[in-house]
Amino acid sequence: MGGSSVLCSVVGPTEVKIRDEQLDKATVEVVARPLVGLPSVKDKAREQNIRETLEPILLSGLHPRTLIQIVVQTMKDDGCILSTAFNATILALLDAGIPLKSILGSVTCIIDAQSNEILLDPTTEELAQAKSTHVFVFDNKSSIANNEDIMDQEELLANVLFSDSTGSFSEEEYFECSRVCFKAAQAVHGFIRTAVEKKLQKEYQQQE
Amino acid sequence: MTSITEDLSSSGPKIVLPGDILPGPESGLLDDAPTAPVIKLGPGLQPMDDDTIAAVKAGVLKHAAVGNRWWVESNQRRYVAATGESIIGVVIGKSADYYKLDIGAAQPALLGVLSFEGATKRNKPDHKVGALLYCRVSMANKDMEAELECFNPTTGKADGYGELKAGFVFKTSLGLARRLLDPKTLVLRLLGQHVPFETAVGMNGKVWINSAKPAHTILICNAVKNSEFLGAEECRSMVKSLVEKL
Repeated sequence: MGGSSVLCSVVGPTEVKIRDEQLDKATVEVVARPLVGLPSVKDKAREQNIRETLEPILLSGLHPRTLIQIVVQTMKDDGCILSTAFNATILALLDAGIPLKSILGSVTCIIDAQSNEILLDPTTEELAQAKSTHVFVFDNKSSIANNEDIMDQEELLANVLFSDSTGSFSEEEYFECSRVCFKAAQAVHGFIRTAVEKKLQKEYQQQE
Repeated sequence: MTSITEDLSSSGPKIVLPGDILPGPESGLLDDAPTAPVIKLGPGLQPMDDDTIAAVKAGVLKHAAVGNRWWVESNQRRYVAATGESIIGVVIGKSADYYKLDIGAAQPALLGVLSFEGATKRNKPDHKVGALLYCRVSMANKDMEAELECFNPTTGKADGYGELKAGFVFKTSLGLARRLLDPKTLVLRLLGQHVPFETAVGMNGKVWINSAKPAHTILICNAVKNSEFLGAEECRSMVKSLVEKL
């Protein structure tokens, strides 16, 4: 996304350490790694954000007593790294064939300190000038339900899987951001769909 | 619900993503199928909390009118055992009652020492650690280790199951393994025109090859691995160039 890129790998369902074993569902482990150096507090927070968002949409009950390990490696950080990590993770999960309830799409936006405008997918430079930063994650159930343009605020928020905001902002600003990000997330969902379709077409071309 | 109906009405493979909902009977899409009250769900489809049926894996939605069965054909690399599938396993341990086999799933599978053709308590085959066995999954359950057998339980005959001697095993994706099992597979037919070889394909993505020369084995192995994302014409030229180099 923009100038940022993240490499994500998914291993699983695989053997789990007895210590981490859960009898009724799979253990989800997320490891976030920075480009250089040791994982910092920020990386640990990112790990927890991703794991807590994914756990409700992963059907971990289908693979009890196993481990699903997700490794998120930052390759290049130029703003909205958390959104990039979310989108990379969901693509990796789809490719690995892990059962999911729905897919997600993540978008970051900022409110510019000078112009008070909402900016999508900010770069590091733009982030520095932001009054507030918002990260949203939407699932694809909502994109199906909202085709009839029911942009009710409450319904909109019911489909948010994750939201993280920093800085100072008003309530109206927050809802405006979520509306803008929701629209942008549709593009992310569309991209995921075309990516999967392209890969499947390659696989099936021999059989026609 | 709209996305899936659009896919169904257009021609070509119907691609579904996790969260896409299977159309209900009222949509009129099931009219060609005998409207059996029972729908059988295969891999990749799950009933959701709100009584709808949704895909849980990305792949191609398939439907068989016989028995009104629906499933999603998807590709992955990790094997999850299912009853009745033929697989290739490596012996990794042996106890008094069971062999422990690595089948590429989360847990090792168990193969009873007596589950071979004509095996009795007195007279049973002995397999060393590292031996390759071609077997059938006799029981698969998400909460337990899979159980295997090396004979057909209805006839008591081996039916081709048993130890694979000599040869070479390599790993492919599960989707490719499924395609290789089809007797019409292009890459195996093309290879068969140039080099003689034996092969056994496990649903767990393990493919065993036995040929006269190591050079042939390497060629076959490379050709099969390369063929996964190639079209028919590309596949032909790929095999041709590999054989010419031999």
